[in-house]
Amino acid sequence: MILAAVEEINSAGGVLGRRMEVFAEDSQTNPQAAVLAAKKLLEVNRVRAILGTWSSGVSLAVIPLTNEANAILMNTSGAPALSVPPANAKGLSFRFQATNDRFGRAFAEIAQREGFRRPATMAFNNASGIGNTEGFRRAWAAKGFANGEHVIYEPNQPSYRAELLRVLATRPDVIVMGSFLPDTTIILREWYQMGVPVRWIIPAWAANPQLVQALGPAVTEGIIAVDTVSNEGSPAFARYDAAYRRAMNQPGTANVYAAMAWDMAVTLALAIERARSFDTFAIRDAIRLVANPPGEAVSSFAEGKARLAAGQEIDYQGASSVLDFDEFGDVTPDFGVFRIERGEINRKYVVKI
Amino acid sequence: MFGALAVAGIVHGLIIGLTALAVTMAFGIARFPNAAAGDTMTAGAYAAVSVHAATGSLVSATAAAVAASAAVSLAGYLLIFRRLAGRSLAAHLVAAIGFAFIIRAVLGLMFGHQQRVFFLPLGWPIEILGLRVPPLDLALVVVAAISLGFVFALLHGTAIGREMRAVADDPDLARAFGISPDRIMIALWLVAGAACGVAGMMLGVKTVVTPEMGWDALLSAFAAAILGGIGSAPGAVGAGLVLGLAQELSSPFVGFTYKIALAFIVLLAVLLFRPRGLFGQRDAVR
Repeated sequence: MILAAVEEINSAGGVLGRRMEVFAEDSQTNPQAAVLAAKKLLEVNRVRAILGTWSSGVSLAVIPLTNEANAILMNTSGAPALSVPPANAKGLSFRFQATNDRFGRAFAEIAQREGFRRPATMAFNNASGIGNTEGFRRAWAAKGFANGEHVIYEPNQPSYRAELLRVLATRPDVIVMGSFLPDTTIILREWYQMGVPVRWIIPAWAANPQLVQALGPAVTEGIIAVDTVSNEGSPAFARYDAAYRRAMNQPGTANVYAAMAWDMAVTLALAIERARSFDTFAIRDAIRLVANPPGEAVSSFAEGKARLAAGQEIDYQGASSVLDFDEFGDVTPDFGVFRIERGEINRKYVVKI
Repeated sequence: MFGALAVAGIVHGLIIGLTALAVTMAFGIARFPNAAAGDTMTAGAYAAVSVHAATGSLVSATAAAVAASAAVSLAGYLLIFRRLAGRSLAAHLVAAIGFAFIIRAVLGLMFGHQQRVFFLPLGWPIEILGLRVPPLDLALVVVAAISLGFVFALLHGTAIGREMRAVADDPDLARAFGISPDRIMIALWLVAGAACGVAGMMLGVKTVVTPEMGWDALLSAFAAAILGGIGSAPGAVGAGLVLGLAQELSSPFVGFTYKIALAFIVLLAVLLFRPRGLFGQRDAVR
């Protein structure tokens, strides 16, 4: 969707009269591969911004390079560490997805709404996994409830029986996860074979169609999956949706990250127009000017460019969220709550935090 | 609780033990640490998961894993290690790491980086001697036991097995007795590959199949090979079980993060106080 958005930007005359050019590399969702790719992009292609790093591990590995090169990093990662120094010492990182801490707050809202009383937490031992469960435990305690057992587990284990035994021994009514797909697959498979009923709240990057495919409908029945939802119904979403359908032959709701990637390109282009300069720090400061209130609400690059040319301030309302960056470069999207029912992942309601 | 953990530990230990068996045999006979053993495992896991998806049979899947890993292992010998005969240990080790990279990259290209899983019916545990054992674990233990039985029968009950052990003991003497090194090497790499294949299938059933799974599992296999006494086949299997059980049973005491480190503390202690390993003969470390 970065390519599609840039195509739209260039066909609207480009930024400050220049065409935007995209160089693509694959991070393989692997920090080592991502560092090599980022080095190549920054040193060989001399790119000025890197858009679309997805996992926290990748973003945390790439951000020292973008900082060193004074390049902007636009990511969709969750790790809280990306908000603050040292990672974001220069304020050049902008996050288009909710932080893991915000996910944790959403989990707490959902657990309360679903009537759970005795939540336990299990986290993959990395910044993102622990960020989710810490966010949940803080928010849950702030509601005046007692937190249950908390387990941090290691990746690549052939068995998570010890971890599960510890958690299930406390008889929780729900287990809130900070987890990823492979470990969630192994843990749920092992849990099902233990025969102890419990409910699950899992981030949707782990509780996704691949998980259902891997485990089948019986194991995944009733799992509550949580993801941010795009700014559906907004004019920017409609534009993105049309582009996504053209490129992927699927509705834009199929991929929240694609909407974020679309917004990255549009926000960057608008910020360059607003900065009237290609200086990284001028662009950085302009991002909040074009994305946050006050200003005329705009939903596309062409519209924003025209208003900026007329001397007006703008507030880009994105396809992924209303896209208002806080002091840390973070946004607060809305959360969709999904339930896995007979192998189908069905959206139930939306939670705002 | 400890019973359940012991069952998990035994399955984990057998996976480590089978890979350690491959590592230790290669070290005993070909005389270098085979860093490609983990990725040989991965090749077996992919073959097993593909065949299992097509046939639904765990037996066919195991056969496919054995065939694929043995083929990969033999290819490594014929294309790389045979040409390095007589070169330094470092050359062999670096070549093995390179071969591991090649296997991983080819698997990544062929199957992609998305996880694959075995679709197996998940049953509730059955009671055996008061222990609650998941039926799947039981099936895996049986498969591993049969495979180990085959390997040990081959090593101790056949002419080629005796010749392999003779080469491991003293290659020059073995050659003087007219044992052809090439034939021994081919047998070695086939058997070592087959053991990796079974381990890969088991790890794939227990976890998820990805191109990195074998490489990630390699460190524990090396630890078990050293712990068991380099070159000792029963030692490798025994040490694998010790490591697997130690990791699972210790977790209530040391926590989940440090249980992995525990294996290496055990290893460190062995290297410091009993360098020939638990089962190794005095002259086994050369």
